[in-house]
Amino acid sequence: MIRLDADKAVHFCDGLTRRDFLHAGSLAYLGLSLPSLLGLKALGAVNNKKDVNCIMLFLVGGPSQLDTWDMKPNAPAEIRGPYKPIKTNAAGVEICEVFPRMAKQADKFALVRTLYHTAAAVHDTGHQMMQTGRLFQGGIEYPHIGCVLSKLKGPKSDTPAHVLLPRPIGNTGGNMPHGQTAGFLGKIYDPFVLNADPSEPNFQVPDMLPPDYMSALRVDRRRDWRGLVDKSVKQFESNPEAKLLDSTFQQAYTLMSSAKAREAFDLNKEPEASRSRYGKNRFGQSCLLARRLIEAGVRFVTVNMFETVFDEITWDIHGSSPFSPISCYRDLVGPMFDAAYASLLEDLDQRGLLQETLVVAMGEFGRTPKVNPAGGRDHWPQCWSMSFAGGGVKGGQVVGESDEIGGAPKSRPVSPAEVAATIYHSLGISLETELPGSQGRPIRLVDHGVEPIHELFT
Amino acid sequence: MRLLSSLLLLAGAAAAQAPSGLSLLPGDVSLRGPRAYQTLVVEATYADGHHKDVTGAAKLVSANPKVAALDGPVVRPAGDGETTVTATLGAAKATVRVRVTGSAQIAAPTFRNHVLPVMTKVGCNSGSCHGALAGKNGFKLTLRGYDPDTDYQVLTREGIGRRVSLVEPAQSLMLLKPTLAVPHGGGRRFDPRSPEYNILVDWIASGAPPPSDADTRIQGVDIYPASAWLEPGAEQQVLVRARYSDGHTEDVTRWVKFSSTDAGVASVDDFGKVKMLGSGEAAITVWYQSQVGFARLGVPYPDRIAAEVFRSSPRHNFIDDLVLRKLEALRIQPSGQAGDYAFIRRAFLDAMGVLPTPEEVERFAADPDPGKRAKLVEEILTREEFVDYWAYKWSDLLLVSSRRLRSNAMWSYYNWIRASVASNKPWDQFARDILVSSGNSRENGALNYFVLHKNPIELSENVTKAFLGLGITCARCHNHPLEKWTQRDYYQMANLFSRISLKNGAEAGDTIVYSSPTGEVILPRLGKPLAPRPLDGKPLDFNDPKDRRRHLAEWLASAENPYFARSLVNRVWQNFLGRGLVEPADDVRATNPASNEELFAALTKDFTDHNFDVKRLIRAIMNSAAYQRSSATTAANEKDEKYYSHYILKRLPAEVILDSIAQVTRVATRFEGYPAGTRALQLPDSQVNSYFLTVFGRPPRTLSDSAERQHEPTITQALHVINGETLNQMLSSKDGTIEMFLKLGLSDGKALEHLYLAAFSRPPTAQERADILAALAEARVATAKDPLEKEPRRKPLEDLMWAMLTGKEFLFNH
Repeated sequence: MIRLDADKAVHFCDGLTRRDFLHAGSLAYLGLSLPSLLGLKALGAVNNKKDVNCIMLFLVGGPSQLDTWDMKPNAPAEIRGPYKPIKTNAAGVEICEVFPRMAKQADKFALVRTLYHTAAAVHDTGHQMMQTGRLFQGGIEYPHIGCVLSKLKGPKSDTPAHVLLPRPIGNTGGNMPHGQTAGFLGKIYDPFVLNADPSEPNFQVPDMLPPDYMSALRVDRRRDWRGLVDKSVKQFESNPEAKLLDSTFQQAYTLMSSAKAREAFDLNKEPEASRSRYGKNRFGQSCLLARRLIEAGVRFVTVNMFETVFDEITWDIHGSSPFSPISCYRDLVGPMFDAAYASLLEDLDQRGLLQETLVVAMGEFGRTPKVNPAGGRDHWPQCWSMSFAGGGVKGGQVVGESDEIGGAPKSRPVSPAEVAATIYHSLGISLETELPGSQGRPIRLVDHGVEPIHELFT
Repeated sequence: MRLLSSLLLLAGAAAAQAPSGLSLLPGDVSLRGPRAYQTLVVEATYADGHHKDVTGAAKLVSANPKVAALDGPVVRPAGDGETTVTATLGAAKATVRVRVTGSAQIAAPTFRNHVLPVMTKVGCNSGSCHGALAGKNGFKLTLRGYDPDTDYQVLTREGIGRRVSLVEPAQSLMLLKPTLAVPHGGGRRFDPRSPEYNILVDWIASGAPPPSDADTRIQGVDIYPASAWLEPGAEQQVLVRARYSDGHTEDVTRWVKFSSTDAGVASVDDFGKVKMLGSGEAAITVWYQSQVGFARLGVPYPDRIAAEVFRSSPRHNFIDDLVLRKLEALRIQPSGQAGDYAFIRRAFLDAMGVLPTPEEVERFAADPDPGKRAKLVEEILTREEFVDYWAYKWSDLLLVSSRRLRSNAMWSYYNWIRASVASNKPWDQFARDILVSSGNSRENGALNYFVLHKNPIELSENVTKAFLGLGITCARCHNHPLEKWTQRDYYQMANLFSRISLKNGAEAGDTIVYSSPTGEVILPRLGKPLAPRPLDGKPLDFNDPKDRRRHLAEWLASAENPYFARSLVNRVWQNFLGRGLVEPADDVRATNPASNEELFAALTKDFTDHNFDVKRLIRAIMNSAAYQRSSATTAANEKDEKYYSHYILKRLPAEVILDSIAQVTRVATRFEGYPAGTRALQLPDSQVNSYFLTVFGRPPRTLSDSAERQHEPTITQALHVINGETLNQMLSSKDGTIEMFLKLGLSDGKALEHLYLAAFSRPPTAQERADILAALAEARVATAKDPLEKEPRRKPLEDLMWAMLTGKEFLFNH
């Protein structure tokens, strides 16, 4: 049975109101059975003392470290680029002039300036490594960190455990997976994808509620009869895709009956001034939505700032079409990020949520220190920057120092695996945890010996 | 638990078993020069067909240690001559000949064939170190050594001459750094006196001779054992031997890059030692100096299945012999055949994307003819819906959409494709007609291909992906890191497309495509063009007057080109069986071997021997017992997802779902800009507005990539069918199936019967009938209580249809 708590009382032809008639269902609808949850708790994999959530802002395209968070004003002109650094409200920390609001929040975030990886310098590899902690090899698709959390802790309430806004990463030039799904954990742990643009005027989650002419009685009846009819084909019972189909229906019903979820997705409930602060664009409104979802009980929200690097203005500033010019950091991308990120940190802080919400902003690689002939920068996974805030992270600091041209770590190099370890650590998940891989092989969350970036938390 | 006990049983059995045969890999050995060596592997065969690497347990003896000396399992030259080496294990013996030549000659390592491969193996020139775009720390090598001449210059002329010191070889920076004698960002790569070190220092000490055109060139690598069936947990050493143009061979196992295609089945370390981790078959792929190959290693499943099971399993054609042979080797039990109801539904959906009507179902089920399935297949091959379905499929491949084509151009493109399918145009002709034609794109719709892909680079990449199933993009900037394609191959291929010109026709949407007499694609690194050449085919001289596209077309369907036919065969196979012989379906590269290579080769040969006839291929597949197998699994085969022991369940494509819902509800979908009654599978344009199709995974047709189409269920899809307009409107429509039931005054029982035949292609069972009729009756009572309700039967029937059309039995092909 489902509960549909509409704001207005809706009377049906059968004389009953929605509110009267139905009430919510059981744990089974949440995709996690009680025994397995208790089992995981017993293993110590799930730490109930800390319930830290996460917002992962994925800056698709690869922000240039030299034009964002690792400025080198003393380098030669062809290295330092067109932008100047500005001071922040954290002593000794300077960032690019295109982020004035972010500069006033520096006490809340920590920068890591020495990220690197040694795989091919294409977008996909960085997407995989930053979102799963590993490069996909030997046919194994590792799960997104949010999907791991979804499997280990299950949903907190009747909202999905992991939501992806607004759409998955699409074509960035390769044909490898991006690491945005649950991989070998099974699609049952894939994130709920919004598939809509929250900045559009009449934004709503597509098909969140039944049409007016559909009574709650009938919604229930349909659901019951679907189960009644679909018992016959026995081999469906062991087929993962078939089970997934049923699970998606269960999750859909759960979402429908959750007043909390409905409210969270309803951006009209947010004051106009607040919506403007985040920026009236797809990324800004997605960040706002992310905050609301965390407040409504979602554990992990992934926000893709862009979905492709082709024919769109993104962080991928190669300098010539179909990619973006370096000026876009000042004209579009910088301000877009600045408004959204700063607003997010401000709001979380004001609401007392920052301590229990880890906010990470990361891209898939950095960019070439030497500006190319087209006036842009190309892919550079040897050294780049990201930020951590909340979730126990101590703001106002910088971890790792790059060399004079921002081309290589000079001290404290940090691998994507360590980033993953850091996120798991902040979320209260033991790094010893093993996940069930294909053919039942246990796969550790991160490889043995990979440590979180401890400096962030002390 | 069962696996463990089987393992113990096998292990115990193996220990007691004596080998029925022994072989010494790699077979006869030829050692040239004092530095040559060959690692040996002793491979035992057992009565039950499995193999085992017994090198550690066997005794190895050289008949003449003055010619060939044994150093553990490694044969080294002692003096010129010929002798034999024998391996013994119990009563089993194996002997190989060893020939040694030039053992007294000084033979320094060469730059091209020894130094560079060593540097590649230890990672000096990898993408994360000195092979990076900007090199590292001022030292830049070409990625994985794709340009030996440049690398030689960099090593010997740059770095103030410190990298290579002829006077004091051991003081060369290229030795001090990787041994960490001096600080090195890349850490310790090898130790002094290691084989790596010795090759480098000996080369320097011999005067660091440069690579030259006279160098012998590598021609290929051979891997041993080529295939083996092993026990669970077994370890197997894989050997790799390189063949050179001057006829000599070398053991290059130590320098090869190894990887496993299925880490859950087998893992491999840097030196070629494989460990079997699970049941199934994996390929251990090998890359060395842009030569690739693989070994197939497998562990059968632990069940013991009587040979009779395989002998008596139905065989309708050659496909079945090969499928069953593989299943028998892997010890996977085949399921029985699917029943008639399941077969007609499956065949209609897979070949045409439509459901059979209730009449068609009943007629087929009642037909006593034992050959009725083959007859049904023949009938399907003649239907219009068959043409629609395959025209749609090739439209996915050829990117037919209004995104970049004007409406009339798009229509001419689509109509040309559809006409080709309708006439069963041979696939090679189909490709040729696209690639070689010139003229007006409105008259010849195929020419729109050149409107979509305008420059030689794009054309080259799309042709290779769409028609050859190969992704060569990586080779644009450097040799492909995983495949045998070099940058030269890439640019030679692109140069086949350098003389195609376009200009606007008289009307909007018309494009004139023609061949021009000049035009070259320049390889940026060399600043000059390379002779046009289709991948690994024959090159064409620059000044040859022959049309370059014609040269490509000739190679495309020739015997020298294995990719073209394989690519198509795999796509068609995957359409029916749910899983390509190669996965992903459009990734038929050399290092991604098929799950059943013998079957793949046989299917391809039949296809090419019979004029690239696509319908013939479809017929053979549909008639095979493998295709007609039930989707019901047994405990013994439920884990198999690769070898066709049972039909693989697959969710229907978006368009088929929408069309099938329309068919069952008898309410056609309205597509904006198209006449009423147009089915989704008849749309020429992937841009046609349809939230349903988008959300259920319709490909946007921006890339010729099978991954564009999505078939996984999502919450968004569930929400759409629960709450969205599409299905709800079709169900509540005042026309349609329910209206028909009411007008005809059909009882609930009759209505139920019709719905089951229409949606599930079978009658309901007695239990289903009882349960559902009871539910309907109860619902009708509840609905009738409302005095305002005019049609108390309608809504429950709508709800029943909804329940049927959103369930697994409807949405899956099974």
